[in-house]
Amino acid sequence: MVGEALARHRGLRNALLLVLIWEVIGRLGLVAGGALPPPSAILIKLWQDRADYPLHIAATLQASVTGFVIGNIIAISAGVIFALSPTLLRIFRGVNIAAFALPPIAIAPILTLTLSGMAPRITLAALGVYFVSMTATVIGISQADSRAADLIRAYGGGRWQVLRRVQFRGALPAILAGLRVAAPAAVLGAILAEFGGGGRWGLGTYLLGSLGQANPARLWGIGLVATLIAGLSYAGFALLSRHFLGSTRAVTLNTAVPTAQEQSSSSLRRVLIITASIALPFIIWWGFIKLSGAPAMIAKTPLDVVNYLFFSNASATAQSKLLQALGQTLPITFIGMAAGLLFAFLLAILSKLFPRGIEAFMPVALVTQTMPLVALTPLLVLMLGRGQALTLWVTISVTFFPAFVTLAQGIALVPNSVQELPRAYGASRWTEMRMVTIPAALPYLFAAMRLTVPRALLGVMIAEWLATGKGLGNLLNQSRGYLDYGMIWTVAAVAVLLSVIFYQLVVLLERRVLTRLGMTTAE
Amino acid sequence: MSLTLNRRQFLGIAAAGIALGVMPQYLRAATSTLSMQAAWINDAEFTGYFLGLDKGYYTEAGLELSYLSGGPDVIPESTLIAGRADLALTSPDTTIKAIVEQGAPFKIIGAQYQKNPLGIVSLAKKPITKPQDLIGKTLAVPPVNVISVEAMLKMNDIDPSKVNIVPYAYDPTPLIKGEIDASLDFTTNVPYTIKLAGEEATSFLLYDFGYTIYNDTIVVTEEVLAKKRDQLVAWLRASRKAWNENFTDPAAWPPKFADTWFKGTGRSIDNEIYFNTAQKPLMESPNGIFALTDDGIEKCLSALGKIGLVGKHDMFDTSLLAEI
Repeated sequence: MVGEALARHRGLRNALLLVLIWEVIGRLGLVAGGALPPPSAILIKLWQDRADYPLHIAATLQASVTGFVIGNIIAISAGVIFALSPTLLRIFRGVNIAAFALPPIAIAPILTLTLSGMAPRITLAALGVYFVSMTATVIGISQADSRAADLIRAYGGGRWQVLRRVQFRGALPAILAGLRVAAPAAVLGAILAEFGGGGRWGLGTYLLGSLGQANPARLWGIGLVATLIAGLSYAGFALLSRHFLGSTRAVTLNTAVPTAQEQSSSSLRRVLIITASIALPFIIWWGFIKLSGAPAMIAKTPLDVVNYLFFSNASATAQSKLLQALGQTLPITFIGMAAGLLFAFLLAILSKLFPRGIEAFMPVALVTQTMPLVALTPLLVLMLGRGQALTLWVTISVTFFPAFVTLAQGIALVPNSVQELPRAYGASRWTEMRMVTIPAALPYLFAAMRLTVPRALLGVMIAEWLATGKGLGNLLNQSRGYLDYGMIWTVAAVAVLLSVIFYQLVVLLERRVLTRLGMTTAE
Repeated sequence: MSLTLNRRQFLGIAAAGIALGVMPQYLRAATSTLSMQAAWINDAEFTGYFLGLDKGYYTEAGLELSYLSGGPDVIPESTLIAGRADLALTSPDTTIKAIVEQGAPFKIIGAQYQKNPLGIVSLAKKPITKPQDLIGKTLAVPPVNVISVEAMLKMNDIDPSKVNIVPYAYDPTPLIKGEIDASLDFTTNVPYTIKLAGEEATSFLLYDFGYTIYNDTIVVTEEVLAKKRDQLVAWLRASRKAWNENFTDPAAWPPKFADTWFKGTGRSIDNEIYFNTAQKPLMESPNGIFALTDDGIEKCLSALGKIGLVGKHDMFDTSLLAEI
């Protein structure tokens, strides 16, 4: 107990030390000619602006809470249905992967075009929630104790009884754990949509109004408030689940799209299911357009996009613009994937070797996850210029965190008994890491890869949109200005499609490698 | 009898029914609703409309005006097409591009800025006072405006590839810190921010170097023009009255909006006064606020022609202003 308290103090001390260093750097204007404000200046500005905040916070909360509730109702119902029907789960696989891989930057302009008022914010918040909660539900329900289910059946209970008395109850910890991760995602989704929503209130709107003021302290203040809301919503659900369940299970974002057990089915049936799973996202896209009632000039169906890209008058220019943009975006995306993964991997290894140092780094890492990147752009541009270095850093910052959490968990889960063997032979910590821990954590490396790969495209597009003015991100931004609706939808569709392809490639690679090594996928 | 409604019509009728039920009797007869989409977040650019709303000029004219704020990601023309606003303040290059390339059914019925306030802003200690100075320099431009800047460069016999154009995210910090040499922004606004940061700014308008276009053009769809012509004329009249009153003393009105229209925008009232004063000469015209003269339209169209946008006179409808 004493040791634990001491350790906690040490973590706090390291964090304080970090803030102090930041203060000194900020005060002396050492970074980017003073564009990084010291923490004290941020707090003072926050206090001066305190009258501005309540309405903005209220608007952001309203959208994110509504999105959170709607998203979870859909996600948990879908999770229950998927858990009961493996066939449906396989049919919806395409939709689920797309929901996971959707780059919000591509989808936000489309939502603001087709929906009005608060709807785009709520939708983006709900989309942020869906995948996490759905996966948590499926896994929670399918992993419920089969002995308890047998008991119910032995007493004559039906499918519904088993679901209600065993599976749902057993799934509760997993679902609550999912909600913890989903809550901050809802907040971030809402803020992101506020950039494009044009409302009067919301933290995203406030940030936009403040951008032109050349006042980094205010931008950081808004970012910190956003971070605080996201952090508090996480902590709130953590407390709730502890209160109700007394459970202290480790929570990580589950990255695997749940796969149904392959039943021995005819190959015709399998082909049908795969076809359906590919077609379904497009059917949903088409249905969304028809239901939203948006005029055809703005809202493009999948057919319209194909038409625009291949059969219209503008298709030649559109194709060449798109190919040029892809040529600029794709190479750096691949480098970004590798860099993000490498960074997460190094961090995970360091966290095993030097747990204290990483503990102090964690608050900084968390801030990078919730701080809107628009607010950081001037700082990044001043420090890194507008070339590949900046794109790479933005991509790393967008990708590394979830990958790091997954990898760290994998490394922590390696059984002690295995690690003791090299120790008994007098191996150094590094040798032990190299020969035992890293190979044993391989399934988690793939899980981390699944997470990193679609997000890398998001990171690159953000950097292009904000700073470098190249590639897909810039094409999207420019098309919006030129009212080139066909191109907006095309870029969004291409971005989603690429993310899904990247994800699917990792899954294929993972299956091959792990099957060969006789390991199972990390859930 | 079979009555088929699609979802939108049903919602519309339901909403109208509710609204009618709630509205007091006298209002129902006298006022009609009109909604406008602004081009940016609430700032001094729209002082006239706020004044008109606060002093009841629109209500006097029989209009119940709802005002929609804009922002960098709000494309006002999209709001019009989606049917969420009756009129919008737009930038004429994107509007005419939409008419020419997408077949959008738009008409321009007025222009808030006779001279586009967009200009090249730089620091006085490293001044860029004419297009030639931009050669070899880094210029930040919002992606939407890149074609305009390239057109201005070509008009002044400068090869656009000689200027390093990067995206501008509306934050002047990189300019103040010297990471970029100049940026394209409203000359009515940014110089104030730069002054606050302890630097002096210098600027020139694209308008003064050949790119002679209007800005904040007032755009409606042909459908709205046909259905709500009287209301649009009333809107123009009330807005002109409000703007004229505002310009009798540009420092008078912004402070009055500190706790209403300008609340929580993150901008200072001094900034709005600076803006309001600076925009006066760009908006005033011998023919009155919003004027569309033959000469002005000709200049606008010929400038746009230089970037390959072939607009026509009939994209403008000057007859509403003539009725005021």
